[in-house]
Amino acid sequence: MMTKAEYIESLRSLKFNLWMFGKKVENPVDDPVIRPSLNSFAATYELAEDPQYEDLMTATSHLTGKKINRFTHMHQSTDDLIKKVKMQRLLGQKTAACFQRCVGMDAMNAVYSSTYEIDEACGTKYHENFVKFLTMVQEGDLAVDGAMTDVKGDRSKAPSQQADPDLFVHVVERTADGVYVTGAKAHQTGYINSHYVLVMPTISMRDGDEDYAISFACPTDAEGITLIYGRQSCDTRKLEEYNDIDVGNKVYGGHETLVIFDRVFIPNDMIFLNGETKFAGMIVERFAGYHRQSYGGCKVGVGDVLIGATALAVEMAGAAKASHVKDKLIEMTHLNETLYCCGIACSSQGSKTKSGNYLIDLLLANVCKQNVTRFPYDIARLAQDLAGGLMVTQPSEADYRNPELKPLIDKYLKGVDSVPTEDRMRVLRLIENMTMGTAAVGYLPESMHGAGSPQAQRIMIARQSNMEMKKQLAKKIARID
Amino acid sequence: MLKCTVKFCGGCNPKYERGDAYAAIRSALSGIAEFSLPQDGEHYDALLIITGCTACEYDYAEICADHRIRCSDSSDVPSVIDRLRHLH
Repeated sequence: MMTKAEYIESLRSLKFNLWMFGKKVENPVDDPVIRPSLNSFAATYELAEDPQYEDLMTATSHLTGKKINRFTHMHQSTDDLIKKVKMQRLLGQKTAACFQRCVGMDAMNAVYSSTYEIDEACGTKYHENFVKFLTMVQEGDLAVDGAMTDVKGDRSKAPSQQADPDLFVHVVERTADGVYVTGAKAHQTGYINSHYVLVMPTISMRDGDEDYAISFACPTDAEGITLIYGRQSCDTRKLEEYNDIDVGNKVYGGHETLVIFDRVFIPNDMIFLNGETKFAGMIVERFAGYHRQSYGGCKVGVGDVLIGATALAVEMAGAAKASHVKDKLIEMTHLNETLYCCGIACSSQGSKTKSGNYLIDLLLANVCKQNVTRFPYDIARLAQDLAGGLMVTQPSEADYRNPELKPLIDKYLKGVDSVPTEDRMRVLRLIENMTMGTAAVGYLPESMHGAGSPQAQRIMIARQSNMEMKKQLAKKIARID
Repeated sequence: MLKCTVKFCGGCNPKYERGDAYAAIRSALSGIAEFSLPQDGEHYDALLIITGCTACEYDYAEICADHRIRCSDSSDVPSVIDRLRHLH
């Protein structure tokens, strides 16, 4: 496995065509806006080195028998699925941000089982291709971005019916050695911190969409790929002279990128689906299921930090003993642990696929994610309620560092005697960061839309609800023939 | 000298600082027991399993040790020290 230091060094060799704020970024590793997201990703390597966490962070490869990072593992049991959720909670607790590596793990597990079944039905060799890719990933402890969401254009039209054919990633040329692809994937979490991208179709396909039914892997810096960095609320605070208190979370963060493919060549042995339209939906459904499970771990860990910050804020204000404050903290905990219950439940009820890896219970995973579209917002609302207005009205760190203003701020923003004013400012900025600042991207809208927007889960819940059985149960009790 | 090894649970939501508990146990048994991380094929007098809560039931059967002693809470530390000292 790679150490944290080796991982960070490995990223320096990637030559991205990356743009941010209208300028090309030559050194993303040391860029102050991007670096916190790298630190979060690097935590997935750092904790795997630590004996205190290795039991969750590592697994034994079913391919080689070697110890590997769990983020490159194909789940071999329901116990593996449970450990995945626990690992994600742990990393959320340690970073208070999106640590980005889950999407690749979920994509790899989905493509692993899907390619096996595609080959079985179509006589293709996609699974063999994928196992070769997976072995390379496990042996090198590589970071993989899972890319699903196309930009999609007119949502009422199928991929092949769009006015602009590039609004879904598609094959533009086929040769004896491989294919050329063009299109764009939106919201790519952790792309710049990844060595490879694993591309999957974004929706079920129909006849006529053959060129869009494409899954493949390629280096993240492959020729023909352009990246445009997604900006976040309050991101330029990281560039200010005093950028310790005001950023809220100085060390960790997350990022998303718009990834544009312009005639990127994909060799045959890196292709995992190529025209078999009826299997696009299988990959989508399995990836979405795994990723909806993931949110029952990572968001819970981030929620743990937000609840802790809120409890500190009320203690620092001298309000901790008020009954409504205690009750709101209980409510936040209840909501957070409910998400965890769902993550553990869909894992414990997982089952073995034909390929041998384990898939979560899809109904429970979709229920999990449906709750994730709501509860972090409720938790954030309660955090803002208890934090008070000072969270968004307190002076800047630059003011606080001004010798003339510091005594005034220390005096008038003081809470309880035992706590320095600066500590209080830091906790309030952390709550601001997580509910309104850069980390809110990961904690709130990502909870809403990541792994699919709320309606996508409701469709899956309807499909999996076993309604006929429920009606039969009611008929029997009501004594209806 | 008692030959001990230690195994931590993964630490998803520990109820106490497991590293601090380990440090306290090591410190209390200085000169009596030596601790190391488990190595394949090694035999130990005792395996100390430090879990963050009582839910973790892993026994780590792959680690060869005459005794398995579990610490699941910071309040377990004194009794763990006593048990290890008693083995000496």
